[in-house]
Amino acid sequence: MIIGGSFQGKLEYAKKLYPEILWADGRDCPYDEVRTCGGIFHLEAYIRRIMKEEEDYGRKYLELLEELGSINPEIVVISDEIGYGLVPPDPFERRYRETAGRICTRLASGAEQVDRVVCGIAVTIKNKL
Amino acid sequence: MIHLITGGSGSGKSEYAENMLCRYQKEEGEQLIYIATMFPYGEETKRKIRRHQRMRRGKGFETIECYTGLSDLVDTLKEYDSVSVLIECISNLAANELYMEEGAKERTAEEILTGTEAVCRIARNVVIVTNEVCSEGFSCSTEMIHYKQVMGEINCCLAKRADRVTEVVYGIAVEVKKDR
Repeated sequence: MIIGGSFQGKLEYAKKLYPEILWADGRDCPYDEVRTCGGIFHLEAYIRRIMKEEEDYGRKYLELLEELGSINPEIVVISDEIGYGLVPPDPFERRYRETAGRICTRLASGAEQVDRVVCGIAVTIKNKL
Repeated sequence: MIHLITGGSGSGKSEYAENMLCRYQKEEGEQLIYIATMFPYGEETKRKIRRHQRMRRGKGFETIECYTGLSDLVDTLKEYDSVSVLIECISNLAANELYMEEGAKERTAEEILTGTEAVCRIARNVVIVTNEVCSEGFSCSTEMIHYKQVMGEINCCLAKRADRVTEVVYGIAVEVKKDR
């Protein structure tokens, strides 16, 4: 798993680390692609998209993300780290950042390695390998 | 031990903090106190409060609610022979002191720092949860800038006082200041 603020060079770093894999773009990929892709970037955008979907339909994919570690155990997940600011006034935005946080925490707990990229420099904050 | 725990929203700070305090508690008969600061304004905050209550159930905490005036809790804490305290969390406390009628208003930082210091003197171990609120750039009102400024000041002072500072990143503890 690779996390960090926006525009910090996460994807570039990931592509160097894993040159062979096929990537899904969380901003516009079909939802089911997370089951099979080698890696996904902009997971935060994927979460936002499914939260905007009709409730039951969206929930199905939120649950899928919770179990992603067992459904697609080799996946590389890249996500913007959000939730480092003031509580947003908009209720959806509050729910979104909370949900994104909980899902990333869940994924991080199952991940073998978590790297945090700041200014293009990766710091490994978890390594079980 | 004074341990300051920070992190973003939904990062697992609270669970980590609860577990740390349980770990620090060594003595038999040492009471674990949970200082809850979130005022139940509406359904959303009530839901949050219930989630936290569920999370700490069975860990042996006694909950004391404190929305403002942390220093006033000293007398209550003195009634115990030995206590370890979890303060959850500074960002709520700061908002309460700034915006609630009975709050300390412009004396917010001073009030919170005096209050936490008083708790630190009485308790064997203190775990303080705070929040990273200053790293998002969307434009905000003067009031919001002021809140961030107060939070920044409190966090810096608490970190200086703390033996240990940890940032929790999606459940992973990243040590910022290590206990010597």
